[in-house]
Amino acid sequence: MNKVIRRIQRYQGWFGAGAAGCLLVGLYLGLIASPPDYYQGEVVRIMYIHVPLAHTSLLAYTVLFGGSVWYLWKRDPLVDNMCHAAAGLSAVFTSLALFTGMIWGKPTWNTWWTWDARLTSFTVLLLILIGYLMLRTFIDDPEREARFAAVVAIIGFVDLPIVHFSVEWWRTLHQPQSFSLRGVSISSDLLFPLIMMSIGMSLLFTYMLLVRTQMLYLTNLLHAKKGRLLGQFHLSKADS
Amino acid sequence: MTAFYLRWGILVVGATILVVLTYRNYEENLATMTPEQVLANSPTEEIRVKGLVRGGTLRGELEEGRASFDLAGEKDTLPVQYEGPPPENLRELKTLILIGKWKTPTRTFQAREMALVTNYGFVMGAYIVGLIPLALFLFFMGRKVCLLYDEIKQSTLYQSESDTHVDSR
Repeated sequence: MNKVIRRIQRYQGWFGAGAAGCLLVGLYLGLIASPPDYYQGEVVRIMYIHVPLAHTSLLAYTVLFGGSVWYLWKRDPLVDNMCHAAAGLSAVFTSLALFTGMIWGKPTWNTWWTWDARLTSFTVLLLILIGYLMLRTFIDDPEREARFAAVVAIIGFVDLPIVHFSVEWWRTLHQPQSFSLRGVSISSDLLFPLIMMSIGMSLLFTYMLLVRTQMLYLTNLLHAKKGRLLGQFHLSKADS
Repeated sequence: MTAFYLRWGILVVGATILVVLTYRNYEENLATMTPEQVLANSPTEEIRVKGLVRGGTLRGELEEGRASFDLAGEKDTLPVQYEGPPPENLRELKTLILIGKWKTPTRTFQAREMALVTNYGFVMGAYIVGLIPLALFLFFMGRKVCLLYDEIKQSTLYQSESDTHVDSR
């Protein structure tokens, strides 16, 4: 068993427990303790789930990008497993961020969807991830599959700054960033649950990444062992 | 696998407690009465009443936070005296939530605050859409990892590895 996998086994529980704790506290603060917004009323509570999901999807893609560069440099199959896991998770978080955003958009903008710069660039991110995951199913040779996928992930990273700065570069319906280098434009009563949920969601992503990387590694390991055993079996039959 | 199911059991219990607390918070602090219920029950404590500002009844000085109007339900209307922060959303034919007390001697509703009508379905929907798929995804992923460890452990494939130290936590 790989040393890294053993280490993941040992420490992953801390991330899971941290995520569960932060999310439960964040949900309590967001759903019960925090006040409603002056303009949006109670609907603002959707922010505590939508914004952390969106942040985490960008974090997941950043991990995918970093892992892809690392893979092309070191060619470590475990890093490729991590990239594959991060891509799947990023696709899930991006889809959920889009769906929760649509649900928030209906009562605040009076529409489920609009071709706004932020929404469009986020949808492009989801399409890049779907393309990445589809590519990984089309190629038979694992080494080529990993190499091509890493290149696609690196090219796709171009969309991330567009997603992040879209609300500043274009006049959009989507509200600007609540916290940036210029300062914080959100009340502290609303900010604390949001930070708690964002930390919880990032820890949850880390935990899910560790679990999924193990899952992909173990699946590959099992296939490899079965293949080797089958090969040995055929060889021994041929010898006899 | 027992430890895995136990962990998830604890998480489900925690989530259930949170759902119950949220529901109780909604029932106690955010649930609204109709004008008909206020007239029928004459509640003495502070309440939230939801209704429509009847056309042609709005009077007072809105900039100074004083107004009087009739709040209509499906059958009855409630005379309202509002005194509070200058209301931005107070208009005729608008559905609002008023927070205040019912004065039985004068048979008027003394409102001190106004709130927008919220469709809680959107909030609930966003949390269900955001959290349930994540939880299910994580559950099945974790379960598969446990099963894979068990499969490796139980199969003869495991025996051939010299450095295998498998712990199916």
